[in-house]
Amino acid sequence: MHSFWIDFLVAIVKIIVILLIALGIGAFLTWVERKVAAHIQRRPGPMVVGWHGLLQPIADGIKLLTKEDLFPRYGDKFLYHLAIILALVPATLVFSVIPFGPEFEVFGYKVKPILSDVNVGLLLAFALGSMAVYAVALAGWASNSKYPLIASMRKAGVLVSYEVVITFAVMGPIILAGTLSTYEIVQKQIEQKLWYIWVQPVAFVVYMFAALAEMGRVPFDVQEAEAELVTGFTVEYGGMKFGLFPLVEWYIEGLTLSAIAVVLFFGGWSPINIPFVGFIDPLFFLGGLSPFVWFILKTTLLFLFILWLHWTLPRYRIDQITQTAWKIMLPLTLINIVLTAVLAPIVWR
Amino acid sequence: MIKKVAVKPLSWIERIFFVDFIKGLTITLKNAFRKTITTHYPYEKLTPPKRFRGFFAHKVVDGTEPQPAFQEWVNRYNIQVEYGKSRCVVCLRCKRACPVPQLFEIEGKKLPNGKRVVSVFNMNMLLCTYCGFCVDACPVDCLYQTDIHETAGYSRKDAILTLEILEQIGRDWQLRREREPDRIWIDDEQRQRLWAENEVKLPKVQEGV
Repeated sequence: MHSFWIDFLVAIVKIIVILLIALGIGAFLTWVERKVAAHIQRRPGPMVVGWHGLLQPIADGIKLLTKEDLFPRYGDKFLYHLAIILALVPATLVFSVIPFGPEFEVFGYKVKPILSDVNVGLLLAFALGSMAVYAVALAGWASNSKYPLIASMRKAGVLVSYEVVITFAVMGPIILAGTLSTYEIVQKQIEQKLWYIWVQPVAFVVYMFAALAEMGRVPFDVQEAEAELVTGFTVEYGGMKFGLFPLVEWYIEGLTLSAIAVVLFFGGWSPINIPFVGFIDPLFFLGGLSPFVWFILKTTLLFLFILWLHWTLPRYRIDQITQTAWKIMLPLTLINIVLTAVLAPIVWR
Repeated sequence: MIKKVAVKPLSWIERIFFVDFIKGLTITLKNAFRKTITTHYPYEKLTPPKRFRGFFAHKVVDGTEPQPAFQEWVNRYNIQVEYGKSRCVVCLRCKRACPVPQLFEIEGKKLPNGKRVVSVFNMNMLLCTYCGFCVDACPVDCLYQTDIHETAGYSRKDAILTLEILEQIGRDWQLRREREPDRIWIDDEQRQRLWAENEVKLPKVQEGV
């Protein structure tokens, strides 16, 4: 009974920490995005609120919260609000299967910095990721307006195509690791002294494409398409309800997908890898903190890379996107799986 | 005759290694670490060029009127000329030239000595398109546009320029910029920073080709 309460307490603490990360950092990332975008276009970005506009997310939040809440006539109120929940909850839940670091001891009690180390972690992550399609479709439908509907149809099309592709893409690392648990995959990479990016570059590229499509980033932001669809399925939302969609889609999903990419391809919390030889840790002086710093560093870099892509590339047309998914990405991943199956015994030794 | 121009298809190497992506990404990365070129608007302001079409003003009589045109119009309309007051001769040509004539409200009054003078000159800037036709139409170089471009106000009344305001803006502008040479841009370091980078390099003409 005693151990149950400790487990319970640990779980609660983990949940609080993860929620703080997900929502706090998620809001703060709006500032990061604006800064990166601005500097790429040679502007300084937000500068007025706080040091270099550091308090801008708070100002934005207050503004969004105090805004008038409009509801479209003939809209479906229940689905309208359900869409927000369906967008936020699954995206945040994905954090529960992301391992932030190795197991450590607090007061003689072993703690894994992962909320639930389920043995089908990856399946769970991608299943929850594909829940996003419901949020988008419902938001588009419940708004009773044409732009949201068009946008949600587009997003649904893109998501359906790229869910297939992303699942096949992560098959490579799964074969190499022989497990679906995110924690175990990282452990395997450390045991095998190999980041899977070295043997799975194709899978990584495909994964990145699919991740961009899932979080609706350029070059796959057809559902958003400011020029044609205003802002897609969020047109009829106002105030914080409007603010939540980009927050979820661009930042929380962006974080989770980059974190999963780090777990799958960059060895999670392990330091820099030389394939089959070992790891070099320039941050050794941090001691026990080093794995966590590595994980956060890698995720941040990957997220910044996504931002960088976003503010560089033009937008694809919807048919080109789905065409790429089915005609190029899917065959590529299938070939990759076959090659991986051949390669796997060498990695296992 | 039509010149057919085809886009060079990507080679396989370019396709596989995303060469186009990488080119674009290097450009954006380079720009991300360069200095920003914007001005920090409410705290830093650019000086508009002299010919900028901003808020309107009435030039006042100060001895720089276009002669002999000014004297001719004054004589024709029997205008009382007063130093330091508007040059307006109440000819209503501005109102005629205007695409939205109702934004002008112009009245003259007769003085006891039989001469006339402008008494009311209201412009409703909410209707104005800043096209400058009225300025072209003004025969005595009275009505013209200044470099004042921060025209926001708290009420509709703020958007109406009365004769006093017009004269005030005019005096101010004549003090500040009347004697400035008429160039498109004045010497402004901020502008030059922009222009130095936008310098177009034209290819040299090859002879005998």
